[in-house]
Amino acid sequence: MYRGKSILELRESLDNGNVTSEELFGSANKLAHYFQEDYNSFVTIIDKCKVKRSNSLISGIPYALKDNFSTTGILTTGSSNILKDYVPVYDATVYKKLKRAGGVLVGKTVLDELAMGGTGTTGHTGIVRNPWDKERQIGGSSAGSAASVALGIVPFSIGSDTGDSVRKPASFGGIVGFKPTYGLISRYGMFAFASSLDHVATLTRNVRDAAIVTDILKGQDPKDMVTLKDDGKKYVDTLDNDIKGRKLFYIKEICDLDLYKDSGDSELIEVLEKFHELLDKCREMGFVVEEVSVDKDLFNAIYPTYMCISCAEATSNNANLTGIQFGPRGEGNSIEEIMFDARTKGFSELIKRRFILGSYILQKENQEKLFLNACRVRHMIVDKITELFKEYDGMILPASGGIAPKFDEKDEKLSDRYLLLENHLAIGNFGGFPSITLPFAFVSDMPVGINITGGVKCDDIVLNMAERIEELTGYKDIYAKVGDIDV
Amino acid sequence: MIEKEKLRDYAHKLMFDMNDSEYETLQEEFDIILKQMNLIEKIPNISDVSPMTFPFPNNDVSLREDEIGDYLTVSEVLENAKHQVNDQVRVPKVVDEDV
Amino acid sequence: MYKVVIGLEVHCELETKAKNFSSAPNTFSQIPNENVAPVDLGLPGILPVPNKEACRKALLTAQALNCTNPDEVLFDRKNYFYADLPKGYQITQVTKPMGINGYLDIMVDGKIKRVDIHQLHLEEDTASLEHHPKYSLIDYNRSGIPLIEIVTEPCIESADEAVTFLEDLRDVFLYLGVSEAKSNYGQMRCDVNISLMEEGSDKLGTKVEMKNINAFNNVRAAIEYEIKRQSELLERGEKIVQETRRIAEDGKTYSMREKVDAVDYKYFVEPNIPPVSLSKEYLDELRSTLPELKLSRYLKYTQLGISSEDSATLSKERSISDYFEEVLSYGSDVELSVNFVITAILSTLNKLEISLNDLFITPKMLSGVVDLVSKGDISLDHGKKILYKAIDEKMDPVELIEKEGLHQINDEGELLKLITEIMDENGEIVRQYVEDGNMSAINFFIGQTMKRSNRQANPNKSKEIIISELERRKNNAGK
Repeated sequence: MYRGKSILELRESLDNGNVTSEELFGSANKLAHYFQEDYNSFVTIIDKCKVKRSNSLISGIPYALKDNFSTTGILTTGSSNILKDYVPVYDATVYKKLKRAGGVLVGKTVLDELAMGGTGTTGHTGIVRNPWDKERQIGGSSAGSAASVALGIVPFSIGSDTGDSVRKPASFGGIVGFKPTYGLISRYGMFAFASSLDHVATLTRNVRDAAIVTDILKGQDPKDMVTLKDDGKKYVDTLDNDIKGRKLFYIKEICDLDLYKDSGDSELIEVLEKFHELLDKCREMGFVVEEVSVDKDLFNAIYPTYMCISCAEATSNNANLTGIQFGPRGEGNSIEEIMFDARTKGFSELIKRRFILGSYILQKENQEKLFLNACRVRHMIVDKITELFKEYDGMILPASGGIAPKFDEKDEKLSDRYLLLENHLAIGNFGGFPSITLPFAFVSDMPVGINITGGVKCDDIVLNMAERIEELTGYKDIYAKVGDIDV
Repeated sequence: MIEKEKLRDYAHKLMFDMNDSEYETLQEEFDIILKQMNLIEKIPNISDVSPMTFPFPNNDVSLREDEIGDYLTVSEVLENAKHQVNDQVRVPKVVDEDV
Repeated sequence: MYKVVIGLEVHCELETKAKNFSSAPNTFSQIPNENVAPVDLGLPGILPVPNKEACRKALLTAQALNCTNPDEVLFDRKNYFYADLPKGYQITQVTKPMGINGYLDIMVDGKIKRVDIHQLHLEEDTASLEHHPKYSLIDYNRSGIPLIEIVTEPCIESADEAVTFLEDLRDVFLYLGVSEAKSNYGQMRCDVNISLMEEGSDKLGTKVEMKNINAFNNVRAAIEYEIKRQSELLERGEKIVQETRRIAEDGKTYSMREKVDAVDYKYFVEPNIPPVSLSKEYLDELRSTLPELKLSRYLKYTQLGISSEDSATLSKERSISDYFEEVLSYGSDVELSVNFVITAILSTLNKLEISLNDLFITPKMLSGVVDLVSKGDISLDHGKKILYKAIDEKMDPVELIEKEGLHQINDEGELLKLITEIMDENGEIVRQYVEDGNMSAINFFIGQTMKRSNRQANPNKSKEIIISELERRKNNAGK
């Protein structure tokens, strides 16, 4: 009965006295257990309802939290063996705020190990499956957070986004993923992957809910120095603003159909055709949509740049995972041996490879050529996009060139054709731009997402534009209606 | 291609090991990334650009006032440590005292 | 002969309320793991936020050491694995240290030696390890305490210079109030790099490193031992091994390990701490709070004609020096002020084991006494006596004089009356002077006059009157 309902719908039911928050929790808890075996959204499902009422819109409403947010007394693993028994002793700021607002935590969701990876297949408790097709990935790293929302278990969940970790799985899961401006939401208590790219982000089934949750989470935090002074805005209030004359651009080097004519990738062609159809509808609605051209060589460098910066920061950020003050203790007769054993056993292969890459990039003899050059490319790309945002209100692009891949599909992200198409979402992280993904089409019965990215601190405008475009897509409040359960 | 032994040495400096086939996968990965990074070097005027560490300039930042705030109890500090003696974290004897 | 080349790296914990990157208390505690925040423990998800006061103190110390400050506060990460480093990296400064290219002038054997400072940077202390026979224990209390590191150029040439530099540097910390710099608490520690080079050669010798020496006398011992050891090796034609050595209790140094290829710390800018710009106004204002330092005050005192020993005593501690200078600022006589401060004030502080702050007598009060002495209104002795009484009774000494009538007796009539009385009572002594010419009678009468007047009689005037009275009696006897 309450599955798949939005925050506002649940709010109404709660306020009308049709349901209690305990009942909502019970329903979400049942759903969580019911889908756990097939989809594996959760590392931990919480069975005890703790409600703290407030006058917030989310008071009494269930939600899920990615298992890389520190929660006092609740196991928090980062989906890694190296933290498989770690029970935090402090709360992430985001968790604190949600608790204070009366949100009811249903579970901690599976991620790609330590948020590194985009497949949802590398968590230490197994792979997460796509609710629209069990044979397909949901994407990652916020895999469980996306799956739990796409299954209709909870109306919203919290994820983290370092390259596309919320916005990509949102696209594959037919839901809304919103990563606000860097520093809008405190990262304190979110396990660091790459600090200069890490964002807290929300997963919801409509844009309004994204605005509601972001309104609750945002604000300056003395514990996170990069957080911004409060802008005093309530994003829900400006969602319905007129968009007439708002200017959007798309990048020719990503969206031009001619580039892919001979690819034989019919799904990709369909995605792009539908993308251009949507752009036409946007124009009809009153948006100005224009094509811009960028330096392809520079933008093709997004992926290697992302890898260099994120792996470099990650290798340092995760140097605290040694099994000494927390995590499973390694065996050995010296301090080096116990660290070595804990880390050898605790990390999976993918993570180790990224750490080695990151540390190589930071080595004295490589730092200039690899790390600093990557930081320079980042600067150039951000400058270019920032310049475009002086003229345009947003950049609109397909979030991905296709639908969620199957588990056995070969990763083609790095081939020349897809290098830009599949990796452009990282631009949002490079420049800290607010960026939102929402479903806009179905291809081969699978959802595909569109992405809108705007200028720094223009979160209200991005949400406003997304809300209006959501009206055009007809895919608001969708979820995968799988399973034979009614609670 | 970067030598496997070198990669193993890097891994050891990061306090872990991998198996042979994992090092081989890594060799290939290095190959791809390094090739792409070589392309980056060829981007015109790249050396004129300053490396970016923070997504955008932020003038709102301020240092923390020197005041005592929240901190942990002794039992919280030790909550997750597997080996303890006298409220301290126990580790194998450290021989070489300094780094 | 060999020329000794020494470079020092000095670490000093800063005195602040909270730690450098967390708000846990920065206090020395006997209870392990009592002052620890998640940040200090390197828990997943933590973020550092730098302490404003620690930054201020580091910048100020850099200014005192004549360094150039950066245009913004920026931190870097130094990456390495060690048991005492919970995050797996130390937050420190490489890109923009709090100070670069400075110097500290020190006085060695009466000559000024300039020690060049390469840089001063702000970082965080590590956890502390307690070693037991079978295991080590980690206490995170020290983890994250603000620490400055001062790196000198290799320009120090003897153990004397090294130790004087360290002592003077500690005095700088104390003068600025940035640290208590107690080496017995490990608050101030030092790494010594030493090499010998052939006299007349310009080729640097092989460098030996000695780490974490707490006590200054150990620095001296280590350097002296190394000079001897390395000279002997070189004389025998042997090579110096590049290595890290430690000083043992026997005053000798022992090899810890040979230097393998340098560790790559993979420094990069700490991405969680955005740069905080330092305006010229802020830095200028900070500079305006710098006190005049020890050496400068010492030199100023010697120019006032104060002996070098007294100048050193007066400039050693800022509070005493400030006290002394305030006394002078009221125009009091220099020599007398020195005398009062050193013999009366300092000795009282030592005797009562109190600090200047606890002393009731303000510089203004002291200057009042000094002025009375210099005007000749009271004797030096009398002045000190009053001062001690004033300290005891927590009273302004000048008021004390008024209240208890402790003024010096300068009135000649009054003095003559007293002296006549004393002489009349001691006819035999007067006779000795008059008949036998015994001059010691004068001193006898001065003593008696002082005693009978409660030491209030003006001694000079008393002496004059005594002599003239004795002469008068002598002349009368002859008639």
